[in-house]
Amino acid sequence: MIPLKELTAADLAAFIESHLTSKGIEVVLSGGACVSIYSSNKYVSMDLDLINVLFVKSGRLRDAMSEIGFVEEGRYFKHKDTDYFVEFPAGPLSVGSEPVKKIIELERETGTLRMISPTDCVKDRLACYYYWDDLQCLEQAVLVADSEEIDLKEIERWSKGESRLKEFNNIKWRFIKEE
Amino acid sequence: MLEPLLGSKNAERVLLFLLARKEGYSREIMRFFGGDPDSIHKQLVKFEAGGVLASRKAGRTHLYSFNPRYPFLKELKALLEKALTFYPQDEKERLLMNRRRPRRSGKPL
Repeated sequence: MIPLKELTAADLAAFIESHLTSKGIEVVLSGGACVSIYSSNKYVSMDLDLINVLFVKSGRLRDAMSEIGFVEEGRYFKHKDTDYFVEFPAGPLSVGSEPVKKIIELERETGTLRMISPTDCVKDRLACYYYWDDLQCLEQAVLVADSEEIDLKEIERWSKGESRLKEFNNIKWRFIKEE
Repeated sequence: MLEPLLGSKNAERVLLFLLARKEGYSREIMRFFGGDPDSIHKQLVKFEAGGVLASRKAGRTHLYSFNPRYPFLKELKALLEKALTFYPQDEKERLLMNRRRPRRSGKPL
Protein backbone atom coordinates (compact mmCIF):
# COMPACT_ATOMS: atom_id res chain seq x y z
CA MET A 1 0.00 0.00 0.00
CA ILE A 2 1.36 3.41 -1.00
CA PRO A 3 1.77 5.80 2.00
CA LEU A 4 -0.70 8.58 1.22
CA LYS A 5 0.60 11.14 3.70
CA GLU A 6 3.24 12.70 1.43
CA LEU A 7 1.38 12.46 -1.87
CA THR A 8 0.61 15.55 -3.93
CA ALA A 9 -2.90 16.08 -5.30
CA ALA A 10 -1.79 14.74 -8.69
CA ASP A 11 -0.16 11.62 -7.25
CA LEU A 12 -3.06 10.91 -4.93
CA ALA A 13 -5.62 11.39 -7.74
CA ALA A 14 -3.55 9.10 -9.99
CA PHE A 15 -3.43 6.47 -7.25
CA ILE A 16 -7.19 6.59 -6.64
CA GLU A 17 -8.05 6.71 -10.34
CA SER A 18 -5.84 3.71 -11.11
CA HIS A 19 -7.40 1.72 -8.29
CA LEU A 20 -10.90 2.59 -9.49
CA THR A 21 -9.98 1.74 -13.09
CA SER A 22 -8.88 -1.70 -11.93
CA LYS A 23 -12.40 -2.10 -10.55
CA GLY A 24 -13.97 -1.04 -13.86
CA ILE A 25 -14.87 2.43 -12.58
CA GLU A 26 -13.96 5.32 -14.86
CA VAL A 27 -13.45 8.74 -13.30
CA VAL A 28 -11.79 11.95 -14.50
CA LEU A 29 -10.31 14.69 -12.33
CA SER A 30 -11.98 18.08 -12.75
CA GLY A 31 -12.53 21.23 -10.66
CA GLY A 32 -10.15 23.13 -8.41
CA ALA A 33 -7.57 20.32 -8.10
CA CYS A 34 -6.87 20.68 -11.84
CA VAL A 35 -6.15 24.37 -11.22
CA SER A 36 -3.68 23.36 -8.46
CA ILE A 37 -1.94 20.89 -10.74
CA TYR A 38 -1.74 23.15 -13.80
CA SER A 39 -0.70 26.20 -11.79
CA SER A 40 1.97 24.28 -9.80
CA ASN A 41 0.07 24.98 -6.59
CA LYS A 42 -0.30 28.73 -7.00
CA TYR A 43 -3.86 27.90 -6.03
CA VAL A 44 -4.36 25.06 -3.56
CA SER A 45 -7.45 22.88 -3.49
CA MET A 46 -7.83 20.01 -1.03
CA ASP A 47 -10.91 18.75 -2.82
CA LEU A 48 -10.42 16.10 -5.51
CA ASP A 49 -13.48 16.15 -7.78
CA LEU A 50 -13.49 12.85 -9.61
CA ILE A 51 -16.31 12.92 -12.13
CA ASN A 52 -18.16 9.63 -12.21
CA VAL A 53 -18.16 9.37 -16.01
CA LEU A 54 -20.09 6.10 -16.32
CA PHE A 55 -22.62 6.87 -13.55
CA VAL A 56 -21.44 3.98 -11.37
CA LYS A 57 -23.73 3.38 -8.38
CA SER A 58 -22.60 4.85 -5.08
CA GLY A 59 -22.38 1.41 -3.42
CA ARG A 60 -19.72 0.27 -5.89
CA LEU A 61 -17.76 3.50 -5.38
CA ARG A 62 -18.01 3.10 -1.60
CA ASP A 63 -16.74 -0.49 -1.74
CA ALA A 64 -13.84 0.38 -4.06
CA MET A 65 -12.82 3.40 -1.98
CA SER A 66 -12.95 1.46 1.28
CA GLU A 67 -10.44 -1.04 -0.16
CA ILE A 68 -7.85 1.76 -0.16
CA GLY A 69 -8.89 3.09 3.23
CA PHE A 70 -11.24 5.94 2.31
CA VAL A 71 -14.35 6.34 4.42
CA GLU A 72 -17.51 8.06 3.21
CA GLU A 73 -18.54 11.13 5.24
CA GLY A 74 -21.57 12.83 3.75
CA ARG A 75 -20.74 13.73 0.17
CA TYR A 76 -17.01 13.19 0.63
CA PHE A 77 -14.52 10.38 1.11
CA LYS A 78 -11.78 10.93 3.66
CA HIS A 79 -8.65 9.01 4.63
CA LYS A 80 -6.86 9.19 7.97
CA ASP A 81 -3.45 9.64 6.29
CA THR A 82 -4.24 12.59 4.02
CA ASP A 83 -5.89 16.00 4.29
CA TYR A 84 -7.22 15.73 0.75
CA PHE A 85 -10.83 14.66 0.43
CA VAL A 86 -12.52 13.11 -2.55
CA GLU A 87 -15.89 13.84 -4.07
CA PHE A 88 -17.59 12.07 -6.95
CA PRO A 89 -19.80 14.68 -8.62
CA ALA A 90 -22.40 13.16 -10.92
CA GLY A 91 -21.54 13.00 -14.62
CA PRO A 92 -21.66 13.67 -17.44
CA LEU A 93 -18.21 15.20 -17.75
CA SER A 94 -19.06 18.64 -19.07
CA VAL A 95 -18.07 22.28 -19.14
CA GLY A 96 -21.21 24.37 -19.15
CA SER A 97 -23.58 22.82 -21.66
CA GLU A 98 -20.91 20.99 -23.66
CA PRO A 99 -19.37 17.55 -23.11
CA VAL A 100 -15.64 17.35 -22.47
CA LYS A 101 -14.09 15.59 -25.44
CA LYS A 102 -10.38 15.59 -24.64
CA ILE A 103 -8.96 13.85 -21.59
CA ILE A 104 -5.33 14.35 -20.60
CA GLU A 105 -3.48 11.27 -19.35
CA LEU A 106 -0.35 11.75 -17.25
CA GLU A 107 1.79 8.90 -16.04
CA ARG A 108 2.74 9.38 -12.40
CA GLU A 109 4.64 7.10 -10.04
CA THR A 110 1.38 6.19 -8.35
CA GLY A 111 -0.60 5.45 -11.50
CA THR A 112 -2.24 7.12 -14.48
CA LEU A 113 -3.84 10.49 -13.87
CA ARG A 114 -6.77 11.31 -16.15
CA MET A 115 -7.88 14.92 -16.01
CA ILE A 116 -9.49 17.65 -18.09
CA SER A 117 -7.20 19.70 -20.36
CA PRO A 118 -5.89 23.17 -19.45
CA THR A 119 -8.33 24.72 -21.96
CA ASP A 120 -11.29 22.84 -20.45
CA CYS A 121 -10.03 23.71 -16.97
CA VAL A 122 -10.17 27.41 -17.92
CA LYS A 123 -13.70 26.91 -19.32
CA ASP A 124 -14.73 25.10 -16.13
CA ARG A 125 -13.53 28.01 -13.99
CA LEU A 126 -15.04 30.58 -16.33
CA ALA A 127 -18.40 28.80 -16.06
CA CYS A 128 -18.35 29.62 -12.31
CA TYR A 129 -17.38 33.19 -13.12
CA TYR A 130 -20.03 33.61 -15.81
CA TYR A 131 -22.90 32.07 -13.86
CA TRP A 132 -22.13 33.04 -10.28
CA ASP A 133 -19.95 36.13 -10.73
CA ASP A 134 -17.27 34.28 -8.79
CA LEU A 135 -14.13 36.38 -9.14
CA GLN A 136 -11.98 33.74 -7.44
CA CYS A 137 -12.79 31.41 -10.32
CA LEU A 138 -11.73 34.04 -12.84
CA GLU A 139 -8.40 34.36 -11.04
CA GLN A 140 -8.01 30.58 -11.06
CA ALA A 141 -8.66 30.53 -14.82
CA VAL A 142 -5.96 33.16 -15.27
CA LEU A 143 -3.51 31.13 -13.15
CA VAL A 144 -4.01 28.12 -15.43
CA ALA A 145 -3.61 30.26 -18.56
CA ASP A 146 -0.39 31.78 -17.14
CA SER A 147 1.14 28.34 -16.64
CA GLU A 148 -0.17 26.28 -19.53
CA GLU A 149 -0.86 26.64 -23.24
CA ILE A 150 -4.57 27.24 -23.75
CA ASP A 151 -6.69 27.60 -26.87
CA LEU A 152 -8.20 31.06 -26.49
CA LYS A 153 -10.14 30.80 -29.78
CA GLU A 154 -11.80 27.63 -28.48
CA ILE A 155 -12.66 29.35 -25.20
CA GLU A 156 -14.18 32.22 -27.19
CA ARG A 157 -16.26 29.75 -29.25
CA TRP A 158 -17.42 28.00 -26.09
CA SER A 159 -18.26 31.29 -24.36
CA LYS A 160 -20.39 32.24 -27.35
CA GLY A 161 -22.20 28.89 -27.08
CA GLU A 162 -22.89 29.67 -23.43
CA SER A 163 -24.31 33.06 -24.47
CA ARG A 164 -21.45 34.77 -22.60
CA LEU A 165 -19.48 36.31 -25.45
CA LYS A 166 -19.86 39.81 -24.03
CA GLU A 167 -18.47 38.69 -20.67
CA PHE A 168 -15.62 36.87 -22.44
CA ASN A 169 -14.69 39.96 -24.45
CA ASN A 170 -14.51 41.96 -21.21
CA ILE A 171 -11.96 39.57 -19.67
CA LYS A 172 -10.13 38.34 -22.79
CA TRP A 173 -7.16 40.62 -22.11
CA ARG A 174 -6.42 38.70 -18.92
CA PHE A 175 -5.56 35.64 -21.02
CA ILE A 176 -3.37 37.28 -23.64
CA LYS A 177 0.29 36.68 -22.85
CA GLU A 178 2.74 39.51 -23.45
CA GLU A 179 5.53 38.66 -25.89
CA MET B 1 -47.69 15.30 -16.10
CA LEU B 2 -43.98 14.47 -16.19
CA GLU B 3 -44.23 11.95 -13.36
CA PRO B 4 -43.72 8.90 -15.64
CA LEU B 5 -40.52 10.52 -16.90
CA LEU B 6 -39.19 12.00 -13.65
CA GLY B 7 -40.22 9.12 -11.44
CA SER B 8 -42.17 11.03 -8.81
CA LYS B 9 -44.77 13.73 -8.34
CA ASN B 10 -42.46 15.67 -6.04
CA ALA B 11 -39.68 15.71 -8.65
CA GLU B 12 -42.08 17.39 -11.06
CA ARG B 13 -43.36 19.79 -8.41
CA VAL B 14 -39.88 20.88 -7.38
CA LEU B 15 -38.70 21.50 -10.94
CA LEU B 16 -41.86 23.33 -12.01
CA PHE B 17 -41.77 25.51 -8.93
CA LEU B 18 -38.16 26.49 -9.58
CA LEU B 19 -38.85 27.06 -13.25
CA ALA B 20 -41.61 29.51 -12.37
CA ARG B 21 -40.08 31.17 -9.31
CA LYS B 22 -36.34 30.83 -10.13
CA GLU B 23 -35.52 30.07 -6.49
CA GLY B 24 -37.19 28.30 -3.60
CA TYR B 25 -36.82 26.35 -0.39
CA SER B 26 -38.42 23.11 0.70
CA ARG B 27 -41.05 24.52 3.07
CA GLU B 28 -42.11 27.12 0.51
CA ILE B 29 -42.55 24.45 -2.17
CA MET B 30 -44.40 22.21 0.28
CA ARG B 31 -46.72 25.10 1.23
CA PHE B 32 -47.53 25.70 -2.42
CA PHE B 33 -48.30 22.13 -3.43
CA GLY B 34 -49.07 20.59 -0.06
CA GLY B 35 -47.59 17.22 0.82
CA ASP B 36 -44.76 16.08 3.00
CA PRO B 37 -41.92 18.60 3.58
CA ASP B 38 -39.44 15.83 4.18
CA SER B 39 -39.97 14.23 0.79
CA ILE B 40 -39.75 17.63 -0.95
CA HIS B 41 -36.49 18.24 0.89
CA LYS B 42 -35.15 14.81 -0.10
CA GLN B 43 -36.03 15.52 -3.71
CA LEU B 44 -34.18 18.84 -3.63
CA VAL B 45 -31.12 17.18 -2.13
CA LYS B 46 -31.27 14.44 -4.76
CA PHE B 47 -31.41 16.97 -7.60
CA GLU B 48 -28.52 18.89 -6.09
CA ALA B 49 -26.42 15.74 -5.79
CA GLY B 50 -27.17 15.01 -9.45
CA GLY B 51 -26.00 18.47 -10.49
CA VAL B 52 -29.44 19.60 -11.67
CA LEU B 53 -29.90 22.13 -8.86
CA ALA B 54 -27.52 24.30 -6.89
CA SER B 55 -28.15 25.76 -3.45
CA ARG B 56 -27.04 28.72 -1.40
CA LYS B 57 -27.67 29.63 2.21
CA ALA B 58 -29.74 32.66 3.18
CA GLY B 59 -29.65 32.80 6.98
CA ARG B 60 -30.65 29.30 8.02
CA THR B 61 -32.53 28.54 4.84
CA HIS B 62 -31.18 26.58 1.89
CA LEU B 63 -32.36 28.29 -1.27
CA TYR B 64 -32.36 26.08 -4.36
CA SER B 65 -32.26 27.09 -8.01
CA PHE B 66 -31.34 25.46 -11.29
CA ASN B 67 -27.63 24.80 -11.65
CA PRO B 68 -26.59 26.95 -14.62
CA ARG B 69 -23.74 24.49 -15.25
CA TYR B 70 -26.05 21.49 -15.70
CA PRO B 71 -25.36 20.40 -19.31
CA PHE B 72 -29.00 19.57 -20.11
CA LEU B 73 -30.47 22.68 -18.51
CA LYS B 74 -31.73 24.30 -21.71
CA GLU B 75 -33.46 21.11 -22.81
CA LEU B 76 -34.85 20.40 -19.33
CA LYS B 77 -36.32 23.90 -19.08
CA ALA B 78 -37.88 23.55 -22.53
CA LEU B 79 -39.56 20.34 -21.42
CA LEU B 80 -40.81 21.91 -18.18
CA GLU B 81 -42.08 24.99 -20.00
CA LYS B 82 -44.04 22.73 -22.34
CA ALA B 83 -45.43 20.78 -19.38
CA LEU B 84 -46.47 24.04 -17.73
CA THR B 85 -48.64 24.93 -20.73
CA PHE B 86 -50.72 21.80 -19.97
CA TYR B 87 -51.34 22.85 -16.36
CA PRO B 88 -54.73 24.28 -15.38
CA GLN B 89 -54.79 28.07 -15.85
CA ASP B 90 -55.39 28.84 -12.18
CA GLU B 91 -52.52 26.66 -11.02
CA LYS B 92 -50.24 28.22 -13.62
CA GLU B 93 -51.18 31.72 -12.47
CA ARG B 94 -50.69 30.81 -8.85
CA LEU B 95 -47.19 29.62 -9.70
CA LEU B 96 -46.20 32.56 -11.86
CA MET B 97 -48.04 35.51 -10.34
CA ASN B 98 -46.36 35.95 -7.00
CA ARG B 99 -45.03 39.18 -5.59
CA ARG B 100 -41.33 39.62 -6.44
CA ARG B 101 -40.81 43.32 -5.84
CA PRO B 102 -39.52 44.35 -2.41
CA ARG B 103 -41.86 45.47 0.36
CA ARG B 104 -40.56 48.14 2.72
CA SER B 105 -40.53 46.84 6.28
CA GLY B 106 -43.25 48.34 8.47
CA LYS B 107 -45.51 49.13 5.50
CA PRO B 108 -49.10 48.62 6.69
CA LEU B 109 -50.33 46.80 3.54
